[in-house]
Amino acid sequence: MRASVALTIAGMALVTYLTRVPLLLALARRPLPARLRLWLRLIPLAVLPALAVPMVLAPGGQLVGGVGEPRLWGAVAVFVLAGRRVNLLVSVAAGVAVVATLRAIG
Amino acid sequence: MPSVFAYATVFGGLAVQAGLHAVEVLAMSVFVFAGASQFVAVPMIAGGASPLSVIFTTYVVNMRHYLMAATLAPSFSAFSRRRLALIAHVVNDESFAVAVTRSRPPDAAIFLGSAAAIFVAFVGGVTVGTLIGGLVAEPARYGLDFAFPAVFLGLVATQLRHRRDWLVAVGSAIVALAIAVRLPGNWHIVIAGMAVSAAGALTGDPEDAE
Repeated sequence: MRASVALTIAGMALVTYLTRVPLLLALARRPLPARLRLWLRLIPLAVLPALAVPMVLAPGGQLVGGVGEPRLWGAVAVFVLAGRRVNLLVSVAAGVAVVATLRAIG
Repeated sequence: MPSVFAYATVFGGLAVQAGLHAVEVLAMSVFVFAGASQFVAVPMIAGGASPLSVIFTTYVVNMRHYLMAATLAPSFSAFSRRRLALIAHVVNDESFAVAVTRSRPPDAAIFLGSAAAIFVAFVGGVTVGTLIGGLVAEPARYGLDFAFPAVFLGLVATQLRHRRDWLVAVGSAIVALAIAVRLPGNWHIVIAGMAVSAAGALTGDPEDAE
């Protein structure tokens, strides 16, 4: 195991534990305030596109693209399928297949 | 549970493909044990992101655990604090969903049974995945480099319920893209993610929390 990766994993484990343990130990009888619950629910909905969209449209910080970009069409496929409640792994596999096919053609 | 095993297998395979060592992938799966954040971390680590940015992003992605822990806590009032400190580590999306769907308030035994099974399925799946993952040469030819963003987009698409959810997701994507083309590194994820979700929560209807 590389030292920097071990350090990263240890840090990830620590901060993740800190999201799990405090409120479980607090044994809170009152639910969290509604607006705080709303924020906690919205965070993944903001973080995941913030992560995925630049990975697809600007890998390495350079905008790529146009309609010829295979990953753009893969993204559309995954998003539409998963949004229609198709199994997540099946949706991902379909998106990957779209990208592979377009790369093979182009 | 079979779906967790499959998801974990895919994760293990892709993580090894991305260039992580099998032992790193396994250590992460046992000690972090939070699939979505691990999917997020792997391409960052493989791309040479700083440990601090990976750790901070992991924290933000996993902040939803606060919500789950707070909801589960009253059901565990009979447990010692030492036990609770151990149980906290296995708080996960799937077991939480099972426990709150079966009964309100959630049942401690159902949660623990599910969490034990999920832990075994997850770590087992990752182990199998790391063994398979090394076998594929030329991953880009099969579109496998696209699998990480694909998982993220799929996860978002399944969670969009209210109009505000869409605004937050699309708004965050635009803000992140605008930052990513100007600022090197990976901070656009945390900046856009925290700022746009906070804006959505401050201006939104708290009823949308459910």
